Amino acid sequence: MTPPKHLTSESVSGAPVPDEPVSGAPVPDEPVLSVRDLSVRFRMRGQRYIAAVTGAHFDLAVGQCLALVGESGCGKSVLASALLGLLPGNAETAGSALLDGLDLLTADEATLARTVRGRRVGLVPQSPAAHLTPVRTVRSQLEETVRELTGTRKPAVRQAAEAAAERAAFPADHLDRYPHELSGGLAQRAATALALIGDAPLLLADEPTTGLDRDLVERTVDELKRHTGDHRALLMITHDLAAAERIADQVAVMYAGRIVELSSAEAFFGEPGPRHPYARGLLNALPEREFTPIPGMPPELGALPEGCAFAPRCAYTTSACAHIPPLNASVACHHPVLDAAPAAAAQEATRA
Amino acid sequence: MTFGKTAPAPGRIPWGPMARMTGRRALFAVPVLLVVTFGAFAIAAASPFDPVKAYAGTAGLTASQENLDQLRANLGVDQPLVSRWWQWLTHALSGDLGDSSVMRQPVTQVIGERLGWSVLLAAVAFVVAVLLGTALGVLAGRRTGGWCDRAISSLAYTLQAAPPFWLGLLAVWLFALKLGVLPAGGLTDTGSTEVTAGQVLSHLALPAAVLAASQLPWFVLYVRQGVADALDEDPVRGARARGLAPRTVLLGHALRSGMLPVLTLIGSRVPELITGALLVETVFSWPGIAAATVEAATAVDFPLLAALTALATVAVLLGNLIADLLYGLADPRVGFDG
Amino acid sequence: MADLWRRGGAGAVRRSTRAWRVRTSAVIMAAVVLAVLLVPPLAQLDEQAVDLSAKLLPPSLAHPFGTDDVGRDLLLRCVYGLRVSLLVGLVAALVATVIGTAVGACAAASGGWVDRVVMRLVDIFASVPHLLLGIFIVAMFQPGVWPVVISVALTHWLSTARIVRAEVLSLRSRPYVDAAVSGGASRWRVTVRHLVPGVLPQAGLAAVLMVPHAIWHESALSFLGLGLPTHQASLGTLVQSARGSLLAGDWWPTLFPGLFIIVPTLAIAGLAGAWRERLNPRRRSELTL
Repeated sequence: MTPPKHLTSESVSGAPVPDEPVSGAPVPDEPVLSVRDLSVRFRMRGQRYIAAVTGAHFDLAVGQCLALVGESGCGKSVLASALLGLLPGNAETAGSALLDGLDLLTADEATLARTVRGRRVGLVPQSPAAHLTPVRTVRSQLEETVRELTGTRKPAVRQAAEAAAERAAFPADHLDRYPHELSGGLAQRAATALALIGDAPLLLADEPTTGLDRDLVERTVDELKRHTGDHRALLMITHDLAAAERIADQVAVMYAGRIVELSSAEAFFGEPGPRHPYARGLLNALPEREFTPIPGMPPELGALPEGCAFAPRCAYTTSACAHIPPLNASVACHHPVLDAAPAAAAQEATRA
Repeated sequence: MTFGKTAPAPGRIPWGPMARMTGRRALFAVPVLLVVTFGAFAIAAASPFDPVKAYAGTAGLTASQENLDQLRANLGVDQPLVSRWWQWLTHALSGDLGDSSVMRQPVTQVIGERLGWSVLLAAVAFVVAVLLGTALGVLAGRRTGGWCDRAISSLAYTLQAAPPFWLGLLAVWLFALKLGVLPAGGLTDTGSTEVTAGQVLSHLALPAAVLAASQLPWFVLYVRQGVADALDEDPVRGARARGLAPRTVLLGHALRSGMLPVLTLIGSRVPELITGALLVETVFSWPGIAAATVEAATAVDFPLLAALTALATVAVLLGNLIADLLYGLADPRVGFDG
Repeated sequence: MADLWRRGGAGAVRRSTRAWRVRTSAVIMAAVVLAVLLVPPLAQLDEQAVDLSAKLLPPSLAHPFGTDDVGRDLLLRCVYGLRVSLLVGLVAALVATVIGTAVGACAAASGGWVDRVVMRLVDIFASVPHLLLGIFIVAMFQPGVWPVVISVALTHWLSTARIVRAEVLSLRSRPYVDAAVSGGASRWRVTVRHLVPGVLPQAGLAAVLMVPHAIWHESALSFLGLGLPTHQASLGTLVQSARGSLLAGDWWPTLFPGLFIIVPTLAIAGLAGAWRERLNPRRRSELTL
């Protein structure tokens, strides 16, 4: 396993942190979030480690939507937690994640709680109803968040909370309901309303469409896209490629804790298509494409094979795959697929 | 879209379902009381205890057999167990619980004079234990394994293992004898015949504090566990991700969810509270029910003991009911169905 | 390169304190058991020896715990008291466990209305405060060792019955029990042969946790004057008979018997907590009194 390259984390953590996020419309090409060699591992009993994320590396510009896709258990939700500073106590991180000049990985808890979460990074969580406190109504939690994030005081709070609900199309007559009384779609909107209150430049949607039916999935991602507009950036973590195709500008494919392909959505979903054999397999597994699953199972993060983690399931494996391929020209593979034809050949090979 | 039960508007209390639950519990209390009182009569019948000798006291030693037989018939001792129980029950329903031999007055009067003082002591101690226990539990649960948690948990475990009567005696030694700041026992100063609020307050402080201390560990440990568990769960993750201040997350979310398991079990504390009160009242000569219980037991005063056992059972059932009502109010997912 | 990894919270600390706690508890329990077994036969001392010239001496080298109001050595009295209390507690816990296991297993094995009626009765029984029920029983049967044992046993079997019943029900849904039943074994036979051995660890744990509780109850009853006779040194009677000295300002005859209740209770809870964690790994250890 290659240790993460020595990078900017020390220099960045020493840099002065701006008190306020840059106000006004940022320059379009300047990345809102810039993730450099981000790694997360969990310390387990007996000096064992689980490498959940290894060397993640990407930029996210304003007005852009990056879809981070992969099967469950590939480490993508851990990446979301790392960006929010919500990792469990036994986690260790390396690398950096710069948001407006602040390294999210080295920021202390007070900074994260007071200036980052909700204010610079808004989270639309997986299973939104479960992320609300069950014994309090949606209104009470909206008002609380409005009070704390915007400093609105008593008489105006009620109206501000209703406006926040309105923005996410949460119906006002459902505000006095408790989280367990909401349907999946409404819980999703409540969570979105809460995430938007702080007007954060980065929206982080962690599996926002889990458990929703197809219509709701499309509506939810469309709304996320609408909220992103041209003044926010959206990092959507999902295993739903169809949802990603609908709104993403860029696609990052994660396998066994590593980003194995990072390309524009146009190229990924259209021509020339994914170039990493895993990404291609993932796309081909969709019902509207070939509907053929990738053979085998993803490896456990605690017991990764030597070399390329996908090699045991890959049709192109050679001796070169005993070494981990670096992410070169947006794909981390020794034998990137060059056109559509080898995909079929690959399947022939695996069946044989 | 799926909706659960229609939610009551916040601030409006669902009196109807609560009243129905109270009614159901009252119905359930009837068989419980029947069984408990019958059990008391059965134990008495199986024991070597002789109500005639108990009633006659020392006079029984010199009384003629004839007189004793007469007394036996008067007391109805020669009747079978069931009819004696039934007789006691019908009398009890008309408000006559018999006469206490040790107090030489009707049982209802003994209880009536003392119940208020016991309730005062227990209620003050319970409120102190709940408030202080919640505060300490939050402090400990906020960071389990930290020094604050260790100090509070160790104190709680030690207090839990300490018998309340021993705590009471040491408190008397320290506060009444060494420091001389609080009276050692009783309801009023010796010699004073009037019961004033100030005197009661100063005499209440020490027993209430000891009783609260004996109840405290349970609340501390459960609130600590509840808060620590809630801190690891999604609602708190959600609240933190929203950017709420740590204090709001702790009190508005972790504590609000973490208190729920405590509330479900709060009713189970009533028996422990009664047990603690029995011991603390004895140590401080507090003129409550518990002290009367000990006197009744020492003198084998069956009518008083039977009534007190039934009363304690009612208190326990009432405690369970109040806890369930509170729980139903605190957690909208739970109804008033039990 | 390892220092590149930034650490999160500390997770290893708690484990080591837990091991330390278990070890300390084991040492204390070993000392307690050795003391109550060996001191009476080996130390040729009379715990009842009255020495009025040495009454109410504060703790010193000769009398580490001091002496009581008739000059008896308190350390010796405490060891004897612990011996009696421990014995009463053990016997009561054993009887309660047998009753509880029998009732719980019968209820679960019978099922149907028997189960419902029995568990309802257990609920009702639990509605009477333990100490009050104990007081009632002792009052009716005259204070003494056996009424105390019986009253403690009769008030403590309820939780064991619930635990055993739940355990039997969960074991009963496992495949090997179905296999035994379809193989022609009767319900009783299955209960006795397969289920009771399965619940013994849980019942044993409940019994161990009950010992401090039983000691606690014995001492409370004795303190109220409803337990063991005053001349019989138990931890409760020691505190009870020290009341007079305490009100005269002498704290040691009260303090030490109480510590003799607290320290073994904590030690047993520490050991039982570790045991419970092995039985039910998900639940944290909690002292249940």
